[in-house]
This record gives sequence, C-alpha cells and structure tokens, in this order.
Amino acid sequence: MEFPAVLFPSYFSAGPPREEGGPGPAAGWGEYGQVLEAGPRRRQAETTFVPRRGGTGESWEPADAAVVPFLPPNASCWIPSLVPQDILYHGVLRRKLQAGKSGAALDFTKQLGHFFVDHPEDAFGSLGQLLHKNFYLGNSKLRRQARDNTIRMTALMEEIGRLEARRGCPRQHLAPRLRWFSHLCRDWLFEVPLGLLADCVHEELLLQWAGLLFDDSSTGGALAWLPPKDVGARMGRLAYPGGQAMNHLYFQDVVLEELPRARGSPAQFELNGRIRQVAAARADGEDFVGVRSDYHCGVWRVPGRTGAAPTPLQVIRTSVPASCLTVSPHLPGELSVCTQSGTVYLWSVERGLQRLRHDPQTMFFRDHSPWRWSDFTAHPRVLSCADRTGLQCLDARAPEKCHFDLFKVGEEAGCQQGERVVLPMYLGRAHPSQHLVTTQFSVYVLDERLPLVPVLKWAHMMKAPPLFAHLTPGGPERSHKVLLGTSHTQELLLLQYQVLNDQFLACPSTGGSQSACQLAGPPQKLHSIAGCLQHLPVQLPHCHRMLQQRLGTPAAGLAAALQEDGPRESLLVFQLSEAGDIFCQRLTHEAAQPPALTSGDEAIPQPSPAVPSPAAALRYRRWLKALSEGCGEPPRHAYPATLSQKRLFTRKELATPVGPSTLHGQLRQQLQQTMREGGCIQRWDPLASQPCTPPQPLELAGDPDPLSVRLTAAWSGDWGQWWEERTSFNMAQRQRALRERRRRQKRARGRRSLSASFTSSLTYQSELSELSDMAPTSLSPGPPAVLPREGSPPAGVPPASPLPDEALLSSQSLRCRGIPKERRKTLRDYLAVWADDPPEPLELPSSQASQLCIPSSQSQLSSASQPRRKRPRMGF
Amino acid sequence: SSHEHKLNFKKSKEVCLNYIQDAMLQKQWKRAAEFLTFYIESLEKDFSTAYMGPSEMIWRIGTEILCHHSHSSMKQFNSFIEQMKTLGVKRYLKVCLEHAFHLLCNGLIDEAYQNLSLAESWRFGEQTTIQDKEMKLIQAYRGLLDYYSWSKQKNILLEHGQNGFEDLSVEQEMHSCFRKAAVNLKEIIKIPGVWDLFVKCYVDLLEFYGDHNEACQVLNEYAYNSKFPANPNAHVYLYQFLKRHGESKKSLISALKILHDIVPSHELMIDFNTMLQKSKKRKKRQLGLEVIFAALDYAGWKENVKAWSCLARQVKQIVISEKHLDWIKQEWNSRKDWWPAFHFSRYLAKRNWQENESLSYEKALVAGILLGKDGKYFKYVSHQGCKAQVKRFRILKKFVNKHNPAYLRISG
Repeated sequence: MEFPAVLFPSYFSAGPPREEGGPGPAAGWGEYGQVLEAGPRRRQAETTFVPRRGGTGESWEPADAAVVPFLPPNASCWIPSLVPQDILYHGVLRRKLQAGKSGAALDFTKQLGHFFVDHPEDAFGSLGQLLHKNFYLGNSKLRRQARDNTIRMTALMEEIGRLEARRGCPRQHLAPRLRWFSHLCRDWLFEVPLGLLADCVHEELLLQWAGLLFDDSSTGGALAWLPPKDVGARMGRLAYPGGQAMNHLYFQDVVLEELPRARGSPAQFELNGRIRQVAAARADGEDFVGVRSDYHCGVWRVPGRTGAAPTPLQVIRTSVPASCLTVSPHLPGELSVCTQSGTVYLWSVERGLQRLRHDPQTMFFRDHSPWRWSDFTAHPRVLSCADRTGLQCLDARAPEKCHFDLFKVGEEAGCQQGERVVLPMYLGRAHPSQHLVTTQFSVYVLDERLPLVPVLKWAHMMKAPPLFAHLTPGGPERSHKVLLGTSHTQELLLLQYQVLNDQFLACPSTGGSQSACQLAGPPQKLHSIAGCLQHLPVQLPHCHRMLQQRLGTPAAGLAAALQEDGPRESLLVFQLSEAGDIFCQRLTHEAAQPPALTSGDEAIPQPSPAVPSPAAALRYRRWLKALSEGCGEPPRHAYPATLSQKRLFTRKELATPVGPSTLHGQLRQQLQQTMREGGCIQRWDPLASQPCTPPQPLELAGDPDPLSVRLTAAWSGDWGQWWEERTSFNMAQRQRALRERRRRQKRARGRRSLSASFTSSLTYQSELSELSDMAPTSLSPGPPAVLPREGSPPAGVPPASPLPDEALLSSQSLRCRGIPKERRKTLRDYLAVWADDPPEPLELPSSQASQLCIPSSQSQLSSASQPRRKRPRMGF
Repeated sequence: SSHEHKLNFKKSKEVCLNYIQDAMLQKQWKRAAEFLTFYIESLEKDFSTAYMGPSEMIWRIGTEILCHHSHSSMKQFNSFIEQMKTLGVKRYLKVCLEHAFHLLCNGLIDEAYQNLSLAESWRFGEQTTIQDKEMKLIQAYRGLLDYYSWSKQKNILLEHGQNGFEDLSVEQEMHSCFRKAAVNLKEIIKIPGVWDLFVKCYVDLLEFYGDHNEACQVLNEYAYNSKFPANPNAHVYLYQFLKRHGESKKSLISALKILHDIVPSHELMIDFNTMLQKSKKRKKRQLGLEVIFAALDYAGWKENVKAWSCLARQVKQIVISEKHLDWIKQEWNSRKDWWPAFHFSRYLAKRNWQENESLSYEKALVAGILLGKDGKYFKYVSHQGCKAQVKRFRILKKFVNKHNPAYLRISG
C-alpha cells in the first residue's frame, strides 16, 4: 500500500498537551478540519477540494426497532452488578458531605454496619461470648443481685431503633446514651481493631468505586466473530463466554439470515476463571482464538471448514493479572500478552513465551494505571505496546534497541490535558499500516509510516470511554466501518473512514496516487441493549425492574459480521452483556446509491421502524419465557423459606373441619360486620372475651435427651458451662442418669427429637431475658432452664413479647386440626423462620385456622423487596 | 429560589442538548434543528456571566445540521455562519476558516478567497497562540488559492505563448499572484508541521522562476529539520526534485537511503532496489538485497509481484554467479524462523497459484533457493506448474534442482 502523495496540513509541536478541560459536549460536530485538493492531476479543470471530515459516507440504516436477542438468556443465577447507590451516601447526608468538596462520598459507615450485622461472629465473636451474660435485653427491671454485673440494654436498643427511623432527619442528634456506649467500648469490643478494619473496608470501597468509575478489565471485549471461510458463505462462528461465572467458552455456528440463527449446539469449554477477553484473528486460512482471564490465557485453533471442532492449543498462567491478549493476523499461533506488571510477551505456540519488555513505569509520563496493551503491526516481528500514555513499536528481534514512538498523549497529536489511551487496535484488515487509538475524548487513526501525527482525529462525544472496537473493512473505493462500544453506558457508535485511491492500481510503483485518510459521513448511533426494554411485553413491576437491571448490565463485548447478498449488504452487530446475554441488530446498505459531492444521503433518511417485526417480537417473547424459566426466580436462600403447603400436609389434613369452630364463626361474623360498617378492627375482641385456651404443654416426659441438651446449650452459647456440668457429675450419678435415660429413650423412640433446640430460635428474645435472669451458678442436672417451654414461661418473668404464633402453634390447636404429632414440629419450624421479625400488625395472623400457611401473595411481595438481612444476636 | 431556578435552567439546557445529540447521531436532522431552536431560545434568557461555551456549540451543531439537512441552501448556510462570526469573538478565526472550507468543498473558490481575505484583516486585541496559528492557516490557504490562480494564468500564458502573442496584463497579474502566494506559503512552512500541499506549491513557484537553490533549501529544510515530524513525503519530494533536476546517482541514492531508514516499506523502495542493483559497487548491490528483503517483511507487500520479481532476479543472479551467497545467508538468518510461515506456507502456495500465477512463479523461485527443493511452497507450485504444462515452471524446477547446493550453503 503506497503512502498518500499529499497529507492534510497540520501543525506539529512536541510537549505535554496544552488544551485544558476536555472537549465541549458537541466537539465532534461541524468541522471540516482541513481541506486538500482532490485530484492533483486535473490541473486544467477547476480545482476541487475534499475535506478531512464531513465527506459522504455510506448509508447504513437499522433494519429493526431495537436489538433482538440472538441466543436464549445466559442460564445462570445472575447477581446484579454493583451500582453507585450501593456504596455512596445518598439523601441529606450526601448533600451535607458534598457541600464542602466535590466528588463522590463513599458510604463507608453503611458498609461497616453491613459487616457487623451480617458477620456478627467475626466482628464481635469472643467478646460477645464473654459479655452476653452481662447484657440484659428484657423489658423488666433487673433484680437487685443481678444488677451488680448485668446491664440492661433495652433502652440502648430502642435508641438505636429510633436512630434508624430518624435516618435522614436533619435535626438528628446522637443520643447521649449511644455516645456514651460507643465511647466506652470502641476500643475493646471489636474482634478486629476498628481502625484496621475501617482501613481495609475503606480501601476496598475505593477499589470498588474505581471499578465503577472505570473498569478496564474487559478492554477489547469478550465476543469474537469468526467469518465464513469463503466470501459469500452464510455460516460463521461466534466465540463468547457464558455460564454462571462467565467461565465457559462457547463456539456457536451461526447462520446469517434476516435474523441470525444459531445452528446446532455450541462447542463448549470450561475454563478456570472469568473470561475477560476473547480475541480472534485469521492467519494462514485458520482462525486462532485467544482467551484471557485474569490469571490464565489460552489459545484455540478453529479450522476453516464448517463443523470442525475447535481445538485448544496452549494455556499460560500469569502471576499478575493479564490485561491484554491479541492474536497475530500474520503468523499462525502467535499472540501477544501483557500483564499488569508492565511486561509484554510475544507468545508463540511453537516457541513459547518471549519477553519483549518489562517496565512497571509508564512510557511517556507517569500514570498510575497498570493497564498495558499490545498489538501487531504491519511487520510481523514488530509489536506495538501501549499504556495509558501512548504507544510504542518494538522489534521482537531486538526489543531493547529497535523501537519508535507511534503515539504520545501530548501536543504531537493535539491531545487534551488528562486524556488517556483507552484502546489501541491494529487496523490491518483495512490498511496494513494503520492503527486505531481511542481515548476517552477522541478516536485517532495512525499510520506507522508517519508516527506521532494522527492521520485522522475526531472527538467521539461518547459518555464513557470506548472499551470495544470492531473493524469491518470495506473493499476498494469503499469506506471502512469502525464500531466503537462502551461498557457501562452501552453506547454503540458507527464511524466510517476511507482511503480513496485516485486511480486504483494494484502496483504501487507505477505512481497511482493514494489520497489521505478521511472521515466519511456523520457518525451514527446504534441501538443499545437496554433500548429493547420498551418493546418487550408489559411486565409486572418487579419483573420489569428485574428486566431493566438485566438489560442494563454493562456491555462486555462487540462483534460484527458483514453479510453480502447481491447488491444488498447488511451488517450484523452482536453485543454481549456482562450477564452473558447476546443481542444483535442489523444494518442494511443499498449499494446502488451514486455518491453525491455534498452529503446527499440524508435525502430520505429512512427512520428506523418504530415497532419490532413479528419475527423480532417472537424472539422477545421466547427470550422472556426462557429468562423467567431459567433464572427469573430469585435465588431461594436470600429470602425466607416459602414452602408450598401441599408438601407439608395431605389434602385431607388441609380440608377445613366439617363444622367451623365457634371462634371461627365469631371472627368471621365480626369481620363481616366491620366491613359492612366500614370500620377497622383494632383488636380481636373475641380473644379477650373468650381467652384462647392455654396451649397444652408439650408432653415432655422427664429429661430431654443429652444431645438436645447439648445442642440447646450450644445454641444459647453455654456450651462451656454444659461441658463443666457434665464433667463435674459424679460417676454414679451419671451412670444412673444414663440408665434411666436409656430406658426412657427406648420408650419414647421417635417421639421427640431436636424440636426444642429449633424452637429456641423462635423465642430467643425471651430466652435471652431468661438467660440474664438466671444465676450462672445454677447447675442442676435436670432439664436446662433455658429450654423454653411453650405456653409456660418461667415464673417471675412476664411473657416477653408473646409471639402471635404461639397460639397457632399450640399442640392443641394443631391437634384439633388433625395434624399428626410429627408434622407439628415441621410446621413449628417452618413458622419459626417467619417469626424472626418482630410482628407487624399487618402480618399478625389471627388464630383463624385457614391462615396457618403463609399466603403465597405475601411471599411474592417479599421476594420483590430487598433480601432480608440476618439479624444479629446482639443488636449493636 | 434563584439558585434552584438556575439549577433547573442548567438541567433543562443539558436535557435539550442531549436530545439534539441523540437526533443528530440518528441522522434526524429536522428533529435536531427543532431542538436547536429551543436551545438557542433558552440561551437568550440565560443571564449567566459564565464563559460563552454554548456559542461554539451552536456553531458546531448548526453547521452540522445545515450540512446534512435536506432543505438547506448555501445562502442559509452563509447567513447562519455570518451570525455565528459575531457571536463568539474567540472563535472568529476558526469559524471563518471552516466557512472557507465549506465554500471550497462546494466549489465556490472565489467566495472562499474573499472570506479568507476578510478574516485576515481581522484584529482583536492580543492574539492567543491558537488564534495566531489559525491566522497563519488562513494566510496559507489564501496563498494556496493565489497559487491556483497563478497556475491558471500560467497555463493561459503558456497557451498564448504557443499561439505566438503575449498578454502583458495576464502576465502582470500572474506575477502579483506569485508574490502574494509566495509570501504566505513561505511563512507557514517555516513552522513545524505537515505542509505537503503548501511545500509542493511553493516549490513549484520557485522552480518556475528558476530559483532552484531556494527550492532545494526549502525541501531540505522540510525533510531534515528535526522539529518537523518524520514525514516520508518530505523525502519523497526531495528525491523527486533531485531526480527532476538530473542530480547524480549518488545524491539520489543517499536521499532514498534515508527514506529506506525511516520507512522501509515505502513504495519507492522498488526504484531504490533497481537503482542499487544496477550499481557496480558490491556494497550497493548488497544494500539493494537488504532493501528488497526488508520491504517484503511488511504485510502490505505480501502479494506485490514487482517486489518478488526484484528479489527473485537478484537472488537468481547471486546463485548463478555463486558469489556473495553470504549476503543471502545474512538476510535469511534473521528471517528463517518466520518467513516460511509468513510467505511460504502450503495454504499461500495454493492461494497464490489460484489467484496470481506470476506471483507464485516469482515466490516459488525464491522459496526454492531459500528453502530447497523440498520446501512446501516450491513443491506445490512447481508441481502445479508442471501439471499445467507451463514452460517457465519446468525451467524453474530444473534451476532449483541444479542449485540445491546453494540452498544448503544458505541454510547451513
């Protein structure tokens, strides 16, 4: 390829960039840049000029209203990615914090709070164990003798509760009691010293925030299109990651049609880490696919013939995360790898790794980013190396000596202050010596033969830095199409540039002159993944929100396939999201348009259709269905267990008794009356008038079995005491007790089990109050006093927050419903899970028997809300 | 409150701008134009004292819309730009320059010239460095247009000269054009930059008036001043100039040698190679081999028949004379680990044979000598060639078989 005979004029000066403040919001519009005489040979006629920017481009119109799902949703329990709201202050506090300084305020206390609440054992384990006897959480007054070594925490807890309720109130003051308490125990209460923990949390938050602002790990994109071997064939391949952790590599045969279609099932490989980048190039008639995860890079060979399986060739492991992997378009089985330690390797499948450079410092000026990139150039032995400050080319045969600067963030390229290289790409398929460099502000096209001076520059005006790029070369006299994609904002931009030959000649030495590089036509925005939401069928609000989140996940890759069908060409653009979903859209081009001198292709701008085609609509429906089947269900463990009542009871058991009880009837009557009057029921009067029959105590015949005692002790944290108790028994006593127990066990085998230890979770509030009341010296071998017995609270302690379920759970009420004994326990356990929260009046179930099981609508409601956090045993 | 009002105002401006951008990026120029009128309206009510960034935005967006809008005319465009020129003092020169570009691209060269002259006379206080640069560009482009009218008059004069009568007024005008053009062009090419267009024109002027020394100096300065970027064209122009003026082989070779050092893949390397091959000096012939090997290292030359035939010819010569086989050996040493896969794979043999027979012939000759008669490329091509009963392939096969010892010496 010959060098352009005349280049566009430009100034050249060296040094750091002078322009400040970044480009304006519309910096890419309305500029020709420079002009050049069009045909140097045609002196006689009137001279014509061509602009550097603003020429005519080809018209590519979107064929559909929005992107269309290409494959079924990635089947995985998808975890929504971090959003700024998770780690930033919001509300009044944010405004207060931001009043003084600019920038984001990390909600560091919230994260610490989450840690204390979610991992109380790790946060307060040992001191919690030591102190829990000295903290009293009940409502009653402390007894005189207990007051010496026990304090009542209830008031403090209430204070904390109130603080929570007043969150966001500008007049909030720290309660003196809380201040006093935190002052008192800040230094010793925490398992990990608070300062150290805070440092670590803060550091992690900063990291996460930096990742949110700009995450470069997916630079290059994890989607690759392997075009068909013969031009015009309709079958290509798509290489992409998938699976729950995005650690499966798929090679899917794709038939290019109106809407591309997957053929057969994909070849699949399970890898050792999350796939960050998939790069592909064709050398010697075969496709080579490089796959980068953080610590491993692998290379696959994909034979050209259809149906042939891809073969893995080699894997390397790095001790520092790799930041780049590119595949050589010149030599089969050659790749280049960069790691975050600043090392660049030439990786040959046959000859192994060759280190070309090791420099933790950046090249042209100091920048903190460890990101490095490398790509191939027109010379198969010369590689380009990039960091945030620029690009250099090195000769692999003598990397120390032979190198030159290709691009510098500086005045040479007319950069802005603060501008940084985001993604370099070798444009070899369009022109053997051209490279694309994107920064957060602009795109540059560089020619190796004229280093440092960009042959093309344009401010792209994208909201986020473009991390993905794809080149679709155009033939002679055609424009090359470059697609730029961003990650978080999912933007997708189509640019066209051209290198027009005045006389297209195959042989360079005969003097055919080639014109300089021009940007052709206005840039064009393509559909983003999130844009298809409005074309999907209407959803329930919480499903809609979930879908919105799913479709709004950052993009993770970009690929395009050119489909030629006579005069009609179409460009299929594939997009991968971080959730592993692949979408596609089609752009069509009618080649028969004669190029006008001034851009005339806007004459009839065919607006993209407003509604999706029936085929697209069908795909939406299928995709939604697969999504709701495969991974639409929220993960179970995050929510209170919801069991179908059908599994607990047979139908017969569930059938309402023939004659409703009198209580039942009364309640119904009252409900109806109140409804008629339009009043509200504040209190179930019948309960007062006709007190609920005291639940019959469980048939606890004698001592519980030792395992239950031990577990109960362990549950309540008294395990040490239990052990002492056991060892301090005298031998005879123990033997006697043992024998007696055995006899009892024989008698009552299968009748009792661990129910006691489980029910204790139901009533830990009262249990704690009992604990604090109990003298630590009481070492009776009998049934431990901590074991709560339903319906009969220990004397002297008023029933602490009587749980509403107790009435329901009483054996009597269960028995009267014909529920067998062994199932009662299951039911109790089941309800115990629900009783963890302090009952709200709304949820307070009446003793009405039909409400025994939680109505399904309630489980629906709670599944839409935030997953409930674990409550700490000690609430501070 | 007023603060809140300001905030809301700012926000709605931003939203409006987003709408405009969105419409433009989807080529909905009419929609964008409507939004732009709202945006301008909103600015009229903007009493903020902040720096007028929006004026530049309106200029840029408006220009872009008018360039693509189906109902816009040149008249409308001109009146819009005239308004824009008065709107922002800081960008006045830039707007003028871009306006001139627009006129030039639409073939309105005289209007563009007027515009540039007008802009040149503009003065406003102290000039910033950017304005200074823009002013220089304006002058340079005016000089360029002067050059074009000079060249037009020159052509007229030459025609008249052929017809045998003189036209004094045309000649005078031509000279005045020359003076105006020369002054401005000379000015800009002193500043570091890429000025291919201006340098070419200036040299053309100088050459016409016989000032070869000045022209040579300008070209040398353009090529060798270290403050200028390493522009291959600068060396090409110098080489072409030297060639035009019949300079010695030696100076031509030294000019091309420098071009070879900075761009080994330049298309002139073929000329350079032929020039060197003809030389009597051994060193130069060796350099010629080096040059052609280096050019063929590049992906862009992979299928260049001319380059391959140059290499084939020289390699053949060396093998027949059996002298200087070490030259080939030296070049081959640094390439033998990757050229076979890069140039001489079986896949390429097949493709070259199918697509370009003469390319495959030249390459097969080189492959046969460098990789021996058992090399994949040579084997495939010679086999196919013999099968198709092409005479030169049979001769080729004989030649390679006969000179197989040369291969052994090169590879050994």
